[in-house]
Amino acid sequence: MQMENIQATLNKGPAVQAAKPTKMRSENVTVHYGAKQALNGINLDVPERQVTALIGPSGCGKSTYLRCLNRMNDTIDGCKVGGKITLDNEDIYDPSIDVVELRARVGMVFQKPNPFPKSIFENVAYGPKIHGLARNKNELDEIVHRSLERAGLLKEVKDRLDEPGTGLSGGQQQRLCIARAIAVSPEVILMDEPCSALDPIATATVEELIDELRENFTIVIVTHSMQQAARVSQVTAMFHLGDLAEVGPTEKMFSNPDDKRTQDYITGRFG
Amino acid sequence: MSTFTIILAVLAIGLVGAVLGYRRSRAFAFADGPKLHSRPVYHASYVASWAVIPSLLLLSAWLIVSPIVVYSSVSTSFPEGVLAETSLTEDLAYGIVESIGDGLRVLPPEERSTITDSTPVADVSSMLRARGVPIASAAADWMVPLALQLNSMQATSRLLMTGAVILLALAGAFWGYRHIQPRLRARNSVEGVVRGALIVASSIAILTTIGIVFSMLFETIDFFSRISPAEFFFGTEWNPRFSGAGSDGSAGSFGFIPLLAGTLYIAGVAMLIAVPIGLFAAIYMAEYADNKTRSIVKPLLEVLAGIPTIVYGFFALITVGPFLRDLSAQIAGITTGSYTSFIQAQSVLTAGLVMAIMLIPFVSSLSDDIITSVPRSLRDGSLGLGATRSETIKKVILPAALPGIVSALLLTASRAIGETMIVVLAAGVAANLTINPFEAMTTITVKIVAQLTGDLEFNSPQTLVAFALGMTLFFLTLCLNIYALYIVRKYKEQYE
Ligand SMILES: Nc1ncnc2c1ncn2[C@@H]1O[C@H](COP(=O)(O)OP(=O)(O)OP(=O)(O)O)[C@@H](O)[C@H]1O
Ligand SMILES: [Mg+2]
Repeated sequence: MQMENIQATLNKGPAVQAAKPTKMRSENVTVHYGAKQALNGINLDVPERQVTALIGPSGCGKSTYLRCLNRMNDTIDGCKVGGKITLDNEDIYDPSIDVVELRARVGMVFQKPNPFPKSIFENVAYGPKIHGLARNKNELDEIVHRSLERAGLLKEVKDRLDEPGTGLSGGQQQRLCIARAIAVSPEVILMDEPCSALDPIATATVEELIDELRENFTIVIVTHSMQQAARVSQVTAMFHLGDLAEVGPTEKMFSNPDDKRTQDYITGRFG
Repeated sequence: MSTFTIILAVLAIGLVGAVLGYRRSRAFAFADGPKLHSRPVYHASYVASWAVIPSLLLLSAWLIVSPIVVYSSVSTSFPEGVLAETSLTEDLAYGIVESIGDGLRVLPPEERSTITDSTPVADVSSMLRARGVPIASAAADWMVPLALQLNSMQATSRLLMTGAVILLALAGAFWGYRHIQPRLRARNSVEGVVRGALIVASSIAILTTIGIVFSMLFETIDFFSRISPAEFFFGTEWNPRFSGAGSDGSAGSFGFIPLLAGTLYIAGVAMLIAVPIGLFAAIYMAEYADNKTRSIVKPLLEVLAGIPTIVYGFFALITVGPFLRDLSAQIAGITTGSYTSFIQAQSVLTAGLVMAIMLIPFVSSLSDDIITSVPRSLRDGSLGLGATRSETIKKVILPAALPGIVSALLLTASRAIGETMIVVLAAGVAANLTINPFEAMTTITVKIVAQLTGDLEFNSPQTLVAFALGMTLFFLTLCLNIYALYIVRKYKEQYE
């Protein structure tokens, strides 16, 4: 157990930090749901402007960890988070931090597309309006168009911005949710299995999009698909039963993992 | 056999049939041969349905038709001219014959055998009176043979019915049992029976509503044939009591406006207070309270919703009304120097206030259910974008829950409009037309009660007006409910 932890720490160090600076750092993060412990001390660095993939068998705590990063766990009754998480070296669980502001900096895309029951335009304009990012209608228009463009959705919905967002197809809805998230210009985007409700073609579109977004955003993505992790991510972290089993550059993780559990998982022996 | 025994017998046959059917289909299930289409339970229900449903239908048809047949055959033998001489109507005479017949059945056999067609009615009456069965004084000698005939007809009918129903049940069970075979689609047939039963249940509600409307309709038309609709709907004075009974109501005034105004005013004040408080309470419970608080507060609110309205009425009469009166006296004293209360103890305000207390749990409980049914993913989506809780509620949750909330509110409004007991005790029975909320007013429902609980003739306009009021009230709430449906539809389209 200890051996593995040390290995994990060793691995992540040089390979990641040499490439990019750390955007978010977690130190010994624990999470309890009531009496039940879901995470047992996670140490993980998320590099800036890279895609970090979280993989691992179901129930190992990937979503739980992801929700720690923008404090969405605060909204769950009986959920307690311990340890330290920093964003640009600022402790995000510090009392002086405004959680609303934090969530504007660390956006989130959910597993199931969840557009608001409003028009497409209003869906994207929602965040900018709340945070007062646009001074007038023109600026708002521009933000909405730019976000839709970046999410690769503008061409499809240009002529029907005032139709309800819930009327789009599943893949379009998910891209709408991505557009909605990037409209507030976050620094980090968290994605929890964003493609699990999508067909292969829509998945491919979203994956391309993620690859492009990497230029401007730091991305953390939870996925159950090894291929997806391999395709889109630069860093992969393997979770197992509330522990971080291993973290390292994606290529290495998939070709030559150190941890037995990672090996078993990616070769499909469990999970 | 009594009807109840017949039903029991039919059910017993159904049960036996079900058990036999179950065993027969089980036998098929284990034998080689085609696979059983439906599970044995369905075969059992199939046999039971065949046994029970047709026979119970026959039973109810018989129970409806047989009295009609008996009536027509007995009443044709009423002696001609007798009815015209005495002041009896045909229905009344038949009623007396029936009660003699019922009485005869109470007598012990040896006494009954002494009664023949020629026994004078006086003897029969005294015999029955000794057994505690009173007979109307209008009873005549010719009724005794008819009562005997009636009894024998009823007995025959019952015997035939018992036989027919039980035979049909047996035949049905046998038929169902014979039909059991592996490929029988018993499951689909049983599904059909369930569907039919559900349709019957829901149409009973609809038919009852239609029945209620019709029962009021004729009286209402009768009323409007005496008082012109224009006088009723546009009259501003309500004073029906002063017209002498039988003088065709021309002296009374049946202006409906003061009642309508009172109804809407009191309901309006109540809604004005109850809606914001109830809604905020619902939002607190659904969005802010943790599970522990919620598990205490919600049941408490629901208990409040279960208090009978007359109790709220007491509260208004004894506590709120006097309190408001005294309070206003104090205020008047401080501001003008004279301690005359400007709020009457019975006033629109008192009624509205207490009715609001009654409505709050109603509003909050309904809205709470609606708000919590907004999917969590919408909440997360908004919070994840950095919206605060109240922004999320205002911009995402309430719009998504709006159709439900609006229909809940209109439902509450229907309740407010239909409320009676609180108004009687809190706002009084005086049909004033005023805009001063500190004075007494009254509502449609209160006046319906008042008009129907006097010793007025049942066919005077003073009584009939209650039906017109009831009908108007019915349409008022109907319109409200239709509007609620319209709103729900409109927003549903927008949000789906
Ligand atoms: N709201 C909650 N209340 C209580 N326990 C929870 C809650 N959410 C998650 N858990 C528990 O925490 C553990 C980790 O759950 P989590 O959702 O993080 O797993 P996951 O890795 O995302 O799984 P999956 O791949 O299936 O999404 C699980 O054992 C789960 O039962
Ligand atoms: Mg998950």
